[in-house]
This record gives sequence, structure tokens and C-alpha cells, in this order.
Amino acid sequence: MTTQKFTLNNILQDRVLSLSLTIVFLMLVLTLLYPTQFATWDNFSQVLLNLSIDTIVAVGMMILMIGGMFDLSVGSVVAFSGGLAGYLMYHQDLPVALAVLAGLSGATLVGLVNGWLIARIGINPMIQTLAMMGIVRGFALMLSGAGLQNFPWEFIVIGQSKLLQLQTPVWYMLFIVLGINFLVQRTTFFRRYYFIGGNERAARLSGIQVERMKIWAFVISALLAGIAGILLSSRLGAALSTSGRGLELRVITAVILGGASLAGGQGRILGAFLGALFMAIINNALIIGRVSGYWQEVILGVILILAVAMDQLLLRRVSRK
Amino acid sequence: MLELKNISKAYPGVQALNQVSLHIQAGEIHAICGENGAGKSTLMNIIAGNIDPDDGELIWEGRPVRFDSFRAAADLGIAIVYQERSLVDELSVAENIYVEKPPLTSWGLIDFKQLWQQTLHLLQGLGLEDMAPQGMVSSLSPAQKQMVEIAKALAAQPKLLILDEPTSAIGEKETTVLFNILQKLKEDGVAIVYISHRMAEIFQIADRITVLKDGVGQGSFAASTLNPQQLIQLMVGRALPTSSFQTDAKNETCLEVDQISGPGFQEISFDIKRGEIFALAGLIGAGRTELALALFGDAPIRTGKLRLNGREVRFKNPSEAIAQGIAYVPEERKSVGVFLEHSITENVQAALLSKSFWLDASASIAATHFWEKLSIKTPSLQQKAGLLSGGNQQKVVLAKWLATQPSLLIIDEPTRGIDVGAKAEIYQILKDLTLQGLSILLISSELPEVLLLADRIGVMRRGRLLQVLNKDEASETLILSLAAGTHA
Repeated sequence: MTTQKFTLNNILQDRVLSLSLTIVFLMLVLTLLYPTQFATWDNFSQVLLNLSIDTIVAVGMMILMIGGMFDLSVGSVVAFSGGLAGYLMYHQDLPVALAVLAGLSGATLVGLVNGWLIARIGINPMIQTLAMMGIVRGFALMLSGAGLQNFPWEFIVIGQSKLLQLQTPVWYMLFIVLGINFLVQRTTFFRRYYFIGGNERAARLSGIQVERMKIWAFVISALLAGIAGILLSSRLGAALSTSGRGLELRVITAVILGGASLAGGQGRILGAFLGALFMAIINNALIIGRVSGYWQEVILGVILILAVAMDQLLLRRVSRK
Repeated sequence: MLELKNISKAYPGVQALNQVSLHIQAGEIHAICGENGAGKSTLMNIIAGNIDPDDGELIWEGRPVRFDSFRAAADLGIAIVYQERSLVDELSVAENIYVEKPPLTSWGLIDFKQLWQQTLHLLQGLGLEDMAPQGMVSSLSPAQKQMVEIAKALAAQPKLLILDEPTSAIGEKETTVLFNILQKLKEDGVAIVYISHRMAEIFQIADRITVLKDGVGQGSFAASTLNPQQLIQLMVGRALPTSSFQTDAKNETCLEVDQISGPGFQEISFDIKRGEIFALAGLIGAGRTELALALFGDAPIRTGKLRLNGREVRFKNPSEAIAQGIAYVPEERKSVGVFLEHSITENVQAALLSKSFWLDASASIAATHFWEKLSIKTPSLQQKAGLLSGGNQQKVVLAKWLATQPSLLIIDEPTRGIDVGAKAEIYQILKDLTLQGLSILLISSELPEVLLLADRIGVMRRGRLLQVLNKDEASETLILSLAAGTHA
């Protein structure tokens, strides 16, 4: 990896690099097209704020997908953790810190159940997390009903204050992305996921405790979704049972754009951030360009298919050599 | 009925068949014998139309034929029963048997009434009255599945039936039933080609025997003119390796296996000295790999004790075994041995991930060290393992394990699918390792390899360790007859 040259082929194959270049290019074009609307600090910080929740969830999803797994219940967990914390503050008058802790613990428990059933009992991840998506959404509805509001100031401040002119969720996102990116690159713990995703049986025979690692991946992913849920309800000043609907598919899209594959074994944490950033910029451009909101989903779908198709073509080109 | 003339087939690095000729007559049972890798499977696949020969002629009932597909051979009346199953578990026995040509109603739908009838009739004709046509294949025992497999081949009423190790998965009772069926088919003029490792069976049922050795035909013989010892001699009779290695075994015991039983093996006891190569010989399915996986913590040991370097151990998973200094090179190199999509360095790293919290340079130091020491032929350690040759992939797997500094290396079929040059290199590597005090448990179906490398040889048969032979008392003939169960 250290000796790779900057040929077109290598750039295309390194998703972090190719996606970064694409994003820079996209930003240049948009700056030229909409100099007064796109290239402003306000717009920039708004885009970052909008993508922060998705990105935090995407980091967890990236870890799962590197290990060859995925989790459809993350969107529901976002609503659940916010709802649980909100319920405890609103109805039980629990101190903010305890309520937040409870919300995060609830989310972690969901991940633990998912991971345990998938790794130890052998339930297919798709089925397990699809079922859990419904179950957890149901709990979120029970907790927050039509929506909870009027949270204490200490809770609101988590997601609504600013540091250096950027909203706090952006800082949380940057901290999580950079922190976990560092851990994935430097620790043996996270490195194991590349081997599990590459060849599960070979990983076990190489001494990796595959089942335990799988459970950890679901726990980490759910905990990150829980953090995202707390940040979201704090930022909105409300816990909504509909929060995070469709989030799981948006996040999986971002992660695949960022270089993960459903087969597992590849992807980088920065890729998750860049995938989410790319999608947020496209969305932003469509809004500035006054394209109907209906088109946004169509366009993102098309981009996903193009990205994966390009991968397949590249793969064929490499394997023919 | 079928004549093969000078059939040759080469694969990269190996001449699988070299000018093999064979004459199969109607109404005879013709056994094909040879060691693993002698070319039996290739020959069968050529007859069944699955593989094109490079050279030579097939003559079917007096006319030269060329099979461009499995169908072409099937249309002529050639049916094959493979060792591997071809049944669909979630369908009934009858649907599986008539999967090619089910009886149809005038509407073009499957006529189930007719299907059950036909199948019942067929099964009764085969003496398999206790099997229901409507029963799901998934509910059958392995032996019953094998019988369905045979029924399926017979449903097409073939003129030539090929059976590849048909008795490896079935018991005494089914074997008797099968032999009765074969006798009856023979009387009806069907030609039967029978492949088996089991000497006793071959002499019980075969009329003629053709022997293959390293892809070369050793001749066809009337079964009555041979005895088992002569047959083994024909199968094995190659020049033995000129010199076997000196032993490096010390007096200290590395591994002591005391009466252990588990899935696929029973009451196994043996020990391995420091620096010794202990080989497990036996036929496929004798339980050697199962035993190895249990020693490595990948399968449970139900009863018995294991002592490693004097301490009693019990492993819940491979991770614990590795921590205690055991390494395991699996048989299926491509599917579970190497990470094909990962680089050489990353492959080496795979077994080092429990050693520390932070990733360090140990993997790349080890990879560089063994790149040179094992002479892994690659331009760079960043090369994907999948792009290397089989021999070099095996060296990468060895490098991965040697980097963990094990005291016992379990190595399963170390040279399968590896060319001759790399084989010799791997032998030398293994031998050098014992000099440094590493103990090796070698599992191999290649007897010359076993005799060349091993200090002692344990012969396994049907999950049991029959006998441990010293290097000087072992011979291919003796091992083979023990493994096949013909030794008096």
C-alpha cells in the first residue's frame, strides 16, 4: 500500500482517494454555479450539521460491513435511545446525565441482543436486524408517543451549543470519525474485522474469536446509533418516534459509496464519512438548485448503482490480468 | 462396450493421465484401482463426459465418440454416481430420482401419482422397500442418501454405470444390498466401472481390475489372477525416495494424547516427541482431519486427556490452542488456509492479532524474515496471496504460523496440489524446523511423503488409531493394507 503509484487505476481503486477527489470536484462546480448560495460558511456548517447524525451511525455500520455483517435496526435505535432518555426526563424527572446514560445503555442492549442471537444462535443478520428494527421502533413509539418536548436546558445544550462557529453534533462526529479511524488503523482489535469479513472460517482457524468479535461489532454499532439518537433529540429539542426512519438504508448507501462491500473484508472509516458527505452535498445542491425533493431519492439511488457497477467493472479489469 | 485408447490429460504442473488404455465389456464389473492422485477421478470424468481428454480416443460400441458434455454421455447410456452428493435435500426421494425426466400429465405438469408409482417400483426392484418415495431426502441417513444416488443413476437405465467409492458412506447392510443390485445389473448385461480403495470389496465383486499409478495404466487383470498384496504392489510399486531424513526427535514429550474421543474419532492415544515428525496415515474419511481439528480446539474433545509440554490442556477454541503454542495448516488451502484477498503481510498478521493491543511492526518483520527464509517467490509482500502459486501460498500459511513461534505444528495434506519442485522445498522446510525443536503432526494421504518425512506413523481407520509404526518397520504396502482393513 505504501508503494502504490498515482496511476488512474490506483486512484479508482482507492475509494477514499477517488471519493475525496470527486467531492472536491463537485464542490468546485457548485461554487462556480452558485457562488452566493453554496460557498458560504453558513451553508457549509449546515451541511455538516445535517450529515453528522448519519455519519456517526455510518461509522458503526462500516465496522459491521468490514466484518461482513450489517444492521438494519440502527434507525429504530436512534429513535429508541432519544425516546428512552426523553421519557425518563419528561415523565420520571430523572437527572439529564442519568437519562442520557439510560438511553445509551438501552441502545447497547439492543446491539448485544442482535449480536448474541446472530453470533451464538446463528440467526441470519438480515432477518435478525429486520425483526429488531420493528421491535425497537415499537418501543420507541410507546416511549415518545406523539413526541416529547420541553427538555431541561442541560439536555438541550448537548446538541444545540456551538464551538468555533460549528454546532456541537459536528464536533461529536469529527471526534468519533477520527477517533475510531485511529483505532481501526492502529489496534489489533479492529483489524480482526478485516479478516472476519475476508474469510470467516480462516479467521477462526487463525485464532480470532469470531463470535465474540461479531457481538462486539453489533454493540459498538448500536452504541453509536444511541449517541446519534441522543444528539438528534437534543438538537431538535424533541424526541420523536419517527426519528431515524429510513436512516438504515441511507447509512448503508453512504458506507457502500465509501468503499465497503456486502461481501465484507474491505472499507475504511474515513470512507463512511466521505460517503455521507458526498450524499449530503448532492442533497444540498438539489435544494439550492430547487430540484423537487422527490428527485433526491431517485438521484441517490442512481449514484449508488453507478458506484457499485464501477467497482464490478474495475474488478473484472484487475482479474483479467 | 467402451474402449479407451491412449487417453492423456494434463493439468498445469501435472500429467493426470498418460496414454491410458482400457476396455470395458458388457456384463462385467471392472474395478479401477490406484492411490490418491493416480488419475482415477480424471479418467471417470472423461468417460462421463465432464472432461475433454487432450489426446486419445473413446470408442463406444464400435464407433469413435466425442463427448462435448455430460448430456452427450448420458444420452448414450452412461451414468455416474459421484462420491459427492448431487441430491437436493428439500425435495422428496422420488423428485430427486426423476429430476431429469419426471413423468408428466397431459397438461405438462408433473404427474405425481405416476412419479410415486415409478419410484416405488424402482426402489422395490433395488431391494429398498423401506424407503418411501414421498420422503424428504433431508430426513435420510447418509447411507440411504447414497442408495438414492445410485437409484437415481439407475432410473435412466444406463448401459454403463460408474460408481466412485460407493461404499465409503454406507454400512455393511447397505453394502450387501448394493452388491446384490450390481450382480443383477451385471446379469442384465450392464457394464459397471467400480472405483474403491477397499481391497476386500474389490476382490469380492470385481471381474477385472485395471491399475493406475501416477496417471499411467499398469495393465488390466482378471481379478482371479491377483491377490491383494500383488494389487497393492502394482498400485504402489514406484521407486521409493532414495534417502529418508535423519530423525531429530528428542527424548522430551511435546504432546501427549491420552484416550481421547470426539466427533469422528474414538479412543486415540499417542505422543509426539520434541523435534519429531509424527504422521497420521489412513484413507479419506478415517478421522484424521477431525482429530487434528479437535487437537486445535476447533472441535470438542468429549473424553480423554491432552498434555502439552507436560501440562494438561483443554481448548475451547483455536485461539486458546494458538496461545499454548499449537499451529494448524489446514487441508483446504484456498478456502480456509489463506486469505486470498489479503496481502502476504496481512496473512502473516492474521495469527498475531491476539498478541498485543496496538498493531505493531511484528507482522511485517516476520513476513520479511520468512519471505527470505522460506524463499516465497513474490515481487512484494504487498502482493495479494490469491495471486501466488499453490506452493507459495502454502509457504505464506507456514510463515503465518511460524511467526507465532509454535511448539507443535499440525499440518494437513501439506503438498496437495503443489508442484514437484515446491514439494521438495516444503519437505526441506519441515525437516529444518524439527531441527530447531518444533514437533510436527503430519497428516498425509501420500505415502511416499509420509515415509520420507515421518519418524513414526500412526495408521487410522474408521476413527481409530490401529497401530503406530516405527519408520524402519513401515512400508507403503503395510500402511495401505492396515488402512484399508485387509491386514491379517
